[in-house]
Amino acid sequence: MSQSNRLPNGGRIDRSKVLNFNFNGQTYQGFEGDTLAAALLANGVDIIGRSFKYSRPRGIFAAGSEEPNAVLQIGATEATQIPNVRATQQALYSGLVATSTNGWPSVNTDMMGILGKVGGKLMPPGFYYKTFMYPQSFWMTYEKYIRKAAGLGRSPTELDPDTYDNMNQHCDVLVVGAGPAGLAAALAAARSGARVIVADEQEEFGGSLLDSRESLDGKPAADWVATVVGELKGLPNVTLLPRATVNGYHDHNFLTIHERLTDHLGDRAPIGQVRQRMHRVRAKRVVLASGTHERPLVYGNNDVPGNMLAGAVSTYVRRYGVAPGKKLVLSTNNDYAYRVALDWLDAGLHVVAVADARHNPRGALVEEARAKGIRILTGSAVVEARGSKRVSAARVAAIDVKAHKVTSPGEWLDCDLVASSGGYSPIVHLASHLGGKPVWREDILGFVPGDAPQKRVCVGGVNGVYALGDSLADGFEGGVRAASEAGFKPVEGVLPKALSRVEEPTLALFQVPHEKGTARAPKQFVDLQNDVTAAAIELATREGFESVEHVKRYTALGFGTDQGKLGNVNGLAIAARSLNVSIPEMGTTMFRPNYTPVTFGAIAGRHCGHIFEPVRFTALHAWHVKNGAEFEDVGQWKRPWYFPKAGEDIHTAVRRECKAVRDSVGLLDASTLGKIDIQGPDAREFLNRIYTNAWTKLDVGKARYGLMCKEDGMVFDDGVTACIADNHFIMTTTTGGAARVLQWLEIYQQTEWPDLQVYFTSVTDHYATLTLSGPNSRKLLSEVTDIDLGREAFPFMTWKEGLVGGVPARVFRISFTGELSYEVNIQADYAMGVLEKIAEAGKPYNLTPYGTETMHVLRAEKGFIIVGQDTDGSMTPDDLNMGWCVGRTKPFSWIGQRGMNREDCVREDRKQLVGLKPIDPNKWLPEGAQLVFDPKQSIPMKMVGHVTSSYAANSLGYSFAMGVVKGGLKRMGERVFAPLADGSVIEAEIVSSVFFDPKGDQQNVE
Amino acid sequence: MTTANVYQQRPATEAKAESPLFHADLQNLIGKGRSNPGVVLREKKLLGHLTIRGNGHDPAFAAGVHKALGMELPGALALVSSGDSSIQWLGPDEWLLIVPTGEEFAVEQKLREALAGSHIAIVNVSGGQSLLELTGPKVREVLMKSTSYDVHPNNFPVGKAIGTVFAKSQLVIRRTGEETWELVIRRSFADYWWLWLQDASAEYGLGVAA
Repeated sequence: MSQSNRLPNGGRIDRSKVLNFNFNGQTYQGFEGDTLAAALLANGVDIIGRSFKYSRPRGIFAAGSEEPNAVLQIGATEATQIPNVRATQQALYSGLVATSTNGWPSVNTDMMGILGKVGGKLMPPGFYYKTFMYPQSFWMTYEKYIRKAAGLGRSPTELDPDTYDNMNQHCDVLVVGAGPAGLAAALAAARSGARVIVADEQEEFGGSLLDSRESLDGKPAADWVATVVGELKGLPNVTLLPRATVNGYHDHNFLTIHERLTDHLGDRAPIGQVRQRMHRVRAKRVVLASGTHERPLVYGNNDVPGNMLAGAVSTYVRRYGVAPGKKLVLSTNNDYAYRVALDWLDAGLHVVAVADARHNPRGALVEEARAKGIRILTGSAVVEARGSKRVSAARVAAIDVKAHKVTSPGEWLDCDLVASSGGYSPIVHLASHLGGKPVWREDILGFVPGDAPQKRVCVGGVNGVYALGDSLADGFEGGVRAASEAGFKPVEGVLPKALSRVEEPTLALFQVPHEKGTARAPKQFVDLQNDVTAAAIELATREGFESVEHVKRYTALGFGTDQGKLGNVNGLAIAARSLNVSIPEMGTTMFRPNYTPVTFGAIAGRHCGHIFEPVRFTALHAWHVKNGAEFEDVGQWKRPWYFPKAGEDIHTAVRRECKAVRDSVGLLDASTLGKIDIQGPDAREFLNRIYTNAWTKLDVGKARYGLMCKEDGMVFDDGVTACIADNHFIMTTTTGGAARVLQWLEIYQQTEWPDLQVYFTSVTDHYATLTLSGPNSRKLLSEVTDIDLGREAFPFMTWKEGLVGGVPARVFRISFTGELSYEVNIQADYAMGVLEKIAEAGKPYNLTPYGTETMHVLRAEKGFIIVGQDTDGSMTPDDLNMGWCVGRTKPFSWIGQRGMNREDCVREDRKQLVGLKPIDPNKWLPEGAQLVFDPKQSIPMKMVGHVTSSYAANSLGYSFAMGVVKGGLKRMGERVFAPLADGSVIEAEIVSSVFFDPKGDQQNVE
Repeated sequence: MTTANVYQQRPATEAKAESPLFHADLQNLIGKGRSNPGVVLREKKLLGHLTIRGNGHDPAFAAGVHKALGMELPGALALVSSGDSSIQWLGPDEWLLIVPTGEEFAVEQKLREALAGSHIAIVNVSGGQSLLELTGPKVREVLMKSTSYDVHPNNFPVGKAIGTVFAKSQLVIRRTGEETWELVIRRSFADYWWLWLQDASAEYGLGVAA
């Protein structure tokens, strides 16, 4: 029998379905319905990993999300690796491969174990801070080592083949946790007709009822669970999410749920199915029914495999039919844990003894155990365990009533399992994610959620209501309250009857005393995952750390994926006693999302790969692809960058494209430029105020270039705006500025000048824009249009309507290259046909498509700015030598007027835009290079400006650049120097920024 | 004096027309894929789209719109249909009118005539947007994966229309039937939406309809 610890019967497992799995290279068998932890225990696997700091052997300690040791790496292939999976939360499936994250060469013979024992003494709390602080440059090296030694798993190095996604949910009531209180709440809310979501982190709903020996209405508790789940499933307004952990409670009742849809089915999700899903839930009301975590007792060697949480033992026995040992010693300070001894006895196993820290326990469960002949040692506790890789004995000794001193040498009891229960801690994590401080309740010795502004109700265990019957009632009432607060009429309900018992109070016992004192006693672990001992906490307080937050950081208590589940309350109680303050004075640390680890896949959802970001295409994109374009990202747009011919690199292609435009005619897709339709009787006045220049006299049929500034007088966008009817304009913006300019216009119209009657509508996507540029553009266009293109009939900076390629078009005669240019605007649906006709007609003219790179070069040769490249939000029109574009005498103030006239903005030595001509025409000034007047000065040099645009490949035959230089406009002919990172210096002459055709003859060719 | 420039933007003669999803070649996908798909997509292409701006509180404006269209001016978040035309509220002073292909020029003139004297704007945006119709039992799930707006029938009855965040951009969602929804998308984003919708529908099966 391979499953040596499997009980002959019992458990919610399907013994007919045998599943093979692999742990640390060895194959084992388990049953469907097992968790990985249950299957490992069934196979008698004691050591599951090595501890974080001391490299001590560790075994499975718990049965739920509080498990500190069995945090494993899962995955059969590199691509399917998942770190940080708790074996207690991973359903077993056929072919599961798990490995320990710590322990080399194997967990059973760990080299680190020897080092750890030596190192352990050398590693007091704060060790990392003290040791690895200096020299700082070594931190990277240390960190690598620490991470490896810490054994916190690793991410896959190959692409994950599975799909993860996000789903947005809205509900009236979100019930967190499907234990008794949660199910009762869900019933109450669901029956009212409210939209209800119930989420639970376990494989099936029921929580503690799945392994409870209690009966409800005389039947096993699990029967009631099945009935309730059946009813909820039948209601259309209810969404049930098992295997779904509510991991974060965020502002405004927004919660995130991490659902593992197919993690229980295999290493990879079945084809077509999603592996994990992040639900982003907006809930009107939240019912928190997160239950409690049992606290372990803190005693010597309480980390050796074979030490377990008491409740976990019951879970393994009753829910999985697994006995994690043969001879049990139970150490407790409360009544409820006695059920574990009874369950153990029921399974036909041997209870060596129960040590109860209370001196005269008389509760109902205690009496039941006593009646069954179980040996009960009162006023006693397990003070230390013995064993290296597995518990072999436990010493039970008498302690005083205050549980401060050991009062007898005690007795070593032969056993292989020590189950301990130190009381119960409400799981306040979610309730505290938004900062609500938990409140200490002395009567239950636990923190419960404090008041919070969130619209939530806490019920059951998390609310400090423990007895089953009370918990059901509390849950139902909470569900009624949540539903009625969400606007639904509650419905009466009858709850099942639970047996009520006499239960005596729990004794405060957060650390079991030891004769040798905390510092010299065998290690008493408080936080097993982070290897924090009681002695370490005491040391931290002695070293002056008095705030619980400081103690946490100094010792690592409750760090990382543990988030204080197991050791938090014991730890802060020990710190409180050491500092001689009360537990409420000590307080808790902050709990942060996520409650348990979440994969990055679930966080990213489908925002990855080819749909990571929206990509925008123009109506002509397919043509560009066909013509071999290389593309450039401009915002979200894909724009043709250049069109290389066979064997051409970007420089050769750009030189050729530039020459073609200057000599004959080129074609640019300008569809991405922002286009805004402006209508209204006050449109003209609005333009006067938005632009720096004047618009009053622009006639219908004409177009004008305009500059826009922010209030500070700095240029933020530019473009050409045309008057197409008295009250109707078409504005163009930069590609990147389209959305923000529209928003800008709306903001000013709506908030500052609501009296101006004007509307703005984006027509960017409606029109495709084809630009023909070059001396032959008129001839070419005339072949496909009925518009009179004659010099007088259609002058520069005007527009005409007519057919182009048989399609109605608006043609603007404007130019960004300095050449004769026509911008043809057509409804985008028809643009491809028009382009094909133009391309055909353009063959005799060597019509050359060009991209953004050539466009940049050609405009720079003319000294035209690109907002965002030659400007950076700190340049006024005057800085750009564009004072001609400022209407200084406009009657009404306009945006930027005051800003650009501030004292600092009219200084003469401001950085000003100029042309830069390298003395060596073959040298290229890197864009962004800093400029100085004297290259021989010592470092740090006095920087006087920088290069904004620079082009080696162009139509001029020499390298040139634009840049800003302090007082540059008055320094024409002077020299500046660009000292580069490689030590070389490029010398350049300050020249006019207009390199090509300064008189503007080109755009007026015949 | 003409207050606005209105012209026929579609070619009078047969000309090549490419809708925003032309290059996805949807025609070729009709009837392919899983049988009984959870989601069926149809591009309602090349329709006339007009943005109408005006003062919704002005009875003359509402009356003018009604006179020209024979449809009531819808209030907040509402969609009104009549035959193959529909008008929806987009914002406090903004509506979207969708009419059969080619009717937009005549309709705009009719509207302008009916609203003469009022401060309004009508803008032809037909080339800039398209309608994607989604039908099927799983459309709601696909929408839930894509938008944080609540698309449950309690909150999103038939006849509602909203503009909202969708995946990483924005669009308009209209519910036109129990299991039928429409997305008003911008042309330049069409490929992104097509890729996104294919992906979000993958687990339910996606069909394409003519």
